[in-house]
Amino acid sequence: MKKRKLAPKILWILSILTLIFLWAPMILVIVYSFSNNKYGSSWEGFTLKWYVKLATNDQVRDALMRSLIIAGVTVVVSTLIGTVTAYGLYKLNFKGKNFLRTSILLPIVFPSVVTGSALLVFFTRLIHLPLGYPSIIIAHIVFCSPLAVFIILGRMQRFDWAWEEAALDLGATPLRTFIRVTGPQLLPAIMASAMLIFPWSFDDFVITYFVAGVGSTTLPIYVFSQLRFGATPVINTIGTLFVTVTMLGMLAVYFVQKMGKSSSSA
Amino acid sequence: MSGSDTLNTEKQPAVCLEIRDVVKQFPGVTAVDHISLEIKEGEIFTFLGPSGCGKSTLLRIVAGLENQDQGDVLIAGEVVNDLPPYKRDCSTVFQSHALFPHMSVADNIGFGLVERKIPKADIKKRVQAKVDLVNLGGMEDRFPHQLSGGQMQRVALARSLVLEPTVLLLDEPLAALDRKLRKEMQIELKRIQREVGTTFLNVTHDQKEALSLSDRIAVMKDGVLLQIGTPNEIYETPRTRFVASFMGATNIFAGSVIDASDDLLTFKADTGLQVIIPTPADIPADQITGFSVHPELIDLIQGDANPELTCTETDVMLPGTIKEVFYLGDFSEMSVIVDDTDLILTVYMTRGWNGPNMKMSEGEHIIAQWSGESMNLLVG
Repeated sequence: MKKRKLAPKILWILSILTLIFLWAPMILVIVYSFSNNKYGSSWEGFTLKWYVKLATNDQVRDALMRSLIIAGVTVVVSTLIGTVTAYGLYKLNFKGKNFLRTSILLPIVFPSVVTGSALLVFFTRLIHLPLGYPSIIIAHIVFCSPLAVFIILGRMQRFDWAWEEAALDLGATPLRTFIRVTGPQLLPAIMASAMLIFPWSFDDFVITYFVAGVGSTTLPIYVFSQLRFGATPVINTIGTLFVTVTMLGMLAVYFVQKMGKSSSSA
Repeated sequence: MSGSDTLNTEKQPAVCLEIRDVVKQFPGVTAVDHISLEIKEGEIFTFLGPSGCGKSTLLRIVAGLENQDQGDVLIAGEVVNDLPPYKRDCSTVFQSHALFPHMSVADNIGFGLVERKIPKADIKKRVQAKVDLVNLGGMEDRFPHQLSGGQMQRVALARSLVLEPTVLLLDEPLAALDRKLRKEMQIELKRIQREVGTTFLNVTHDQKEALSLSDRIAVMKDGVLLQIGTPNEIYETPRTRFVASFMGATNIFAGSVIDASDDLLTFKADTGLQVIIPTPADIPADQITGFSVHPELIDLIQGDANPELTCTETDVMLPGTIKEVFYLGDFSEMSVIVDDTDLILTVYMTRGWNGPNMKMSEGEHIIAQWSGESMNLLVG
């Protein structure tokens, strides 16, 4: 009987250890963001002064705004491209379709360093695109839209396409059919890809670092550059905000899914 | 619909759907092979055939969901070959119902009216009328996943009927329902059709359903139209071997006429059996290739009775042995092997015959008898 209880215990301990391993750095960052220590690396009493510093730091605000704009544009354009591409890949029959479908995976599986340097060479040597917003946004769309294609394509595979025929049959033009039937059916997949793409784009460091150029620092690049000059506790406050916002986002997704499930399984 | 009967002095109803020499090829198969037919206003017409016979393809061609390679489709006298589905005056009830899952029952039914830009208040009224017609009162705000199969079927029906199409197309409408519900919906369909008067074009592989639902039936096989007729004609006088066996006349004898007079034919089957059949009015003797007998038209006489007493010239009598009895409740299906041959007859005995006082069991020696009138002549 004792032996039987051993396995769950080991599993339990391993789980706790894994959780600690995953969470400890984040918890430390959060705790130290409220610490008086000027290097942000030990506890010396509670303070909010780093948050005040963060709020008054123009560089951080600029970098944050830049990251938000880039992520916002990337999400909208990538999901649009993703929806149209997935629809075409599913509905149209043409030569090389399977090859195209597989090759769309490439930006996801390529090492970021390769994608980043290739894009840099492409932008500066070939099409002479000024580095900054345009180059960063295009780069982000390149590695984000494949994700949207795959999520939406996955949803389409579980479609009852008779819906579309029924809509056409009832007098809706193809465009109206997409607006009233196909689009709404795809919406959960489009939202899911948007929620995945936003942090991808917001977080990206490697590719952005290659194509950002001078004067268009995104938040991850700013954080990295600050660390090079020695850690300041402001970094901890940025980390705390990241964690908080991400957690809130995840909670939102969780509740949206829960509501969706309870209304569709009644 | 009301304008067409103003000058119609004859009682002939107008043709509301015409299919002219339609051909549809898919890679490797001809799904529809030169089919022409006319469907009259207000009738329930059924395409009947085994799966893969092209009946659904033909329905989809009428709906505009599939394009024919050749031939014309006319709805209410107008060629609609080049019209997309959303411009054709017909509406389909799909086998999978194809209800829009993100819309309520009322919104599903009103879908087509919204596309026709009907005022909102009007839509509400017309949707309500159809909700009542299909007995879905109180369900207007439900969503498809909250409905049973039969209810979904009713929504799909109402969604199409609300558009008042010239032809309502039904693609295996009852196939997804269980047997009891199927029977119920069959009666419902017939009631609704009589109430609204719309022409129904139905597709099914179920002979019973076709017989009980239709005014006329077209039997198809491998893309070819074999026979068109009323349920009576199709069941009682199938003209080809396939139609006969598909409709349940499983006793089929191939052969030819060896002697013909004005009122009687002598027919010799390939098995050696020779019978005398009353000469039909509508079939030339030299075209006859066989005959069929329905299992319920064959009598079994127990061995010790003397059959010669009641026998007429055209009666057929074959001594045989009961090989197997399948008890089915209201009747029993017997297979009888005819003596000295490998000919096997299928015979249905209702309880009235094989009931309380007459027990027939396997191995018993009997005489199978049927009259000359029970033999239906085949030409193909």
